[in-house]
Amino acid sequence: MGGVGELELIQRSLEGDLEAWGEIVVRYKRMVFGAALAVLRNWADAEDATQEAFIRAYEKLHYYDLSRKFSTWLLTVTINVAKNMLRKRRPDPEPRTFHTDDPATVVEREELRNAVKQAVWSLPESYRLPLVLYYWEGLSVEEIARAMRLKPATVKTRLFRGRALVKSKLLEMGVTVDAV
Amino acid sequence: MRFENWRDEELIRQAIADEIAAAEHRLEGLEKRVMKALATRDPSRSPWRRWLRSLIAPRSPALRLGYALAGALLFLGLGLLIGRFAFAPEPLPALAQEGTVFALAAPGAHKVEVVGDFSAWKPIPLADPDGDGVWTLILKLPPGRYEYAFLVDGRWVGQDPNADEYVRTMGDYTSVRYIGGDST
Repeated sequence: MGGVGELELIQRSLEGDLEAWGEIVVRYKRMVFGAALAVLRNWADAEDATQEAFIRAYEKLHYYDLSRKFSTWLLTVTINVAKNMLRKRRPDPEPRTFHTDDPATVVEREELRNAVKQAVWSLPESYRLPLVLYYWEGLSVEEIARAMRLKPATVKTRLFRGRALVKSKLLEMGVTVDAV
Repeated sequence: MRFENWRDEELIRQAIADEIAAAEHRLEGLEKRVMKALATRDPSRSPWRRWLRSLIAPRSPALRLGYALAGALLFLGLGLLIGRFAFAPEPLPALAQEGTVFALAAPGAHKVEVVGDFSAWKPIPLADPDGDGVWTLILKLPPGRYEYAFLVDGRWVGQDPNADEYVRTMGDYTSVRYIGGDST
């Protein structure tokens, strides 16, 4: 089913063809998982949210407007599912700590990479999610705004603020950051 | 440790990709799990859903009126609560009569704000006390290079006519001002 177009898969899914929906899952599971992880920061929860998002999207597929971009609509469903899970799971757990086994022997670049990872994934969700959608999913500001139901200017502000927070967290960790 | 080139955003991209890639093994066979879950689900037969539906969309007119009144009271109460706590003024960078002037002509606008690296990209409101459509703000900023943009009724305005230069970041423009030791 690899060569079948997205629209055909969606139409077949609307008619109840679960195999077609399975192919949609194959194509979009990484994207959906990335967004879920950005909200939940926990692998197991993100996995559950990914599965639930695809189930929810299938059940709500008749609400999907075929003139809209499917991936943006699917991300909106995913974000809703993940945020609902987050609300039920309060308090938000601390992010995983990223460290190397033997700091004395690691190269500086690896240490820096871990510091950036720590800084990004410890951001508040309202900044972390736009950063993941922008830098990893490759969405435009307008697409993020549609997926998160925000104004484009709000998304831009959050992207800039998210980067500023990463920078200040790196400074707190003792990483020297060149001035912008 | 040194973050050599802040403008090179590859490290942020990498930080995100690394974490997602490390967890990707969890997605193996997900499509089969989704298909299996969907095949065994029939939402219309669930008694819990039927009960929820009757609760959300009651048939009794008296119950509907009760819902409407309760909803209105809840809406009013929440509005008062949010107004009391959420809109408490936040401390802003020091305002001064002497400093860097941010001004933008935006006749007809209801709200004009500036966001920039000097405020960690948090909006600071401009004012138009005489109602002539020119919104202004004076900020006392230490010497340096500053990136910023205006938000006019929530719309991004990245090109300030008074800026020293513009840079294109994340698909749009931001303005840049250089503040010298004795400049405004």
